[in-house]
Amino acid sequence: MVDVFAILPSPSNESAPFWEGCNRGELLLQKCGDCAHVFYYARLFCPKCGSRKLEWQPSAGKGTLYSFTHVGVSFYGPKWESQIPYTLVLVDLDEGPRMLSRLTGERRAKAMIGDRLEVKLVEVEKQKLPYFRIAGE
Amino acid sequence: MPKVTDEAVIIGMGETRVGKLPGMNSVQIQALAVHNALQSCGLTIRDVDGLVNLDPYGIPNSMFSTTLAEYLGLKPTYCTTVDVGGTVTGMTMMQQAIWAITSGHCRTAVCVYGENALTGRPPGGHGSWLKNLLGGEEWEEPFGLQGMVSMYALLAQRYFHDYDADESDLGAIAVSTRQHALLNDNSMMKTPMTLEDHRNSRMICSPLRLLDCSLVADGGGALVITSAANARRLGAKRVRMRSFAMRMTHNTVAQLPGIEDLGMREAGRDVYESAGIGPDDLDMAQLHDAFTISALVTIDALGFCKPGEAGNYIRTGATAPGGKCPVNTHGGLLSQAHIGGMLHLVEAVRQLRGEAGRRQVPDARLALVSGNGGIFSICGVSILERM
Repeated sequence: MVDVFAILPSPSNESAPFWEGCNRGELLLQKCGDCAHVFYYARLFCPKCGSRKLEWQPSAGKGTLYSFTHVGVSFYGPKWESQIPYTLVLVDLDEGPRMLSRLTGERRAKAMIGDRLEVKLVEVEKQKLPYFRIAGE
Repeated sequence: MPKVTDEAVIIGMGETRVGKLPGMNSVQIQALAVHNALQSCGLTIRDVDGLVNLDPYGIPNSMFSTTLAEYLGLKPTYCTTVDVGGTVTGMTMMQQAIWAITSGHCRTAVCVYGENALTGRPPGGHGSWLKNLLGGEEWEEPFGLQGMVSMYALLAQRYFHDYDADESDLGAIAVSTRQHALLNDNSMMKTPMTLEDHRNSRMICSPLRLLDCSLVADGGGALVITSAANARRLGAKRVRMRSFAMRMTHNTVAQLPGIEDLGMREAGRDVYESAGIGPDDLDMAQLHDAFTISALVTIDALGFCKPGEAGNYIRTGATAPGGKCPVNTHGGLLSQAHIGGMLHLVEAVRQLRGEAGRRQVPDARLALVSGNGGIFSICGVSILERM
């Protein structure tokens, strides 16, 4: 894939470990030290029990496609026309959380709900972003 | 169970023209809607001591209730801005006004929303131009999510999968809604639509096409609520909010629950229970339809049919003009205009007052209004009743 455009994240005190993890090649999820809940996205408190005892753990980066859409209009103006169509996915990670991402790869246009997906880090301006591709591609 | 009093009642409603209102800003549009609503019940701003509004999404403002109050020349004893999400905001405004009146903070309140969402949009913009999305931008924008359409497209694709539905089901509600819009002089869409028109319209975010999307518009709507005693003294036509319930389940699309867990079903169950009625008792339903898929999910969830059967239900003619339970008799967000769902409430009140002209539902007594904000992030259902 060439010339992927993305609005880059502005990491905060809670999200910086996630984005730094991506740059090291890891998809990190937070796990609660009290109730063991694994969740996405980054927070200061466990959304299940309220605990602040949180740790980062790497995800296996595999999941199942919950839904997808091929975006056919540039909502970002003319510069994004070259990206059209691109594919947004909701992926259910094997560790539990649902995540919004973008699908890359040759078989992107043939995506189907239930497909197995795996993370594919794509670098945009020195930030690696956790996109997905159809597993085994 | 939510309890709603009938010690405060709706006595007036009004709306502005919808579509393009060039040169008008959001304060002017809301002020115009308030004046129109007051006119419907023979009151003036001198009678108003409560104001509840929503500030514009395109150009967010702070302290928008005092901004509008000053512009109108009001010095209310109760004044607030609420923001909950599409149409649930309007219902919550009404609830705030009812609480303020019954607890003695004010006697007559106006509830209003409006903005210049279309002409205020930057040139070349597509869709609704929101200053911010749902607050999860860091987890959305790096992946290319922008605007509301793609979120609802993800929901629609999953709906197709779960229920073996297809685009003809989306088209069915688009066509039914357009039939209503043609009976409303104040609607943006003026020409009939066929299923083929729907199927041939431009793909925006698969599976949603142009005719699955609502109409970004300038415009405003307002309601007048007063104490029951004052309404009787004025001899006003009265409508009450017989029941109202909401459910919040999530906010951003990454946290989207399964379709049957979006909260609409539970909110609906609560209002039916507290009102002591069911879907068969309704004379009409005004369902928040930012996208066609929104209406299908809502029709399923509110018990008009079994889950996934909304398309077949619509094809029986039930939702069309003259149907068993007409849906979106003003043309909805899809074919009248997207004014934040405020006009769903205005239309329900207008119908219950018997003032809907050639689209009047005969002898209308009970109307259901549904809303959902964000991506079904918060769902609300209310039952309005003619008194």
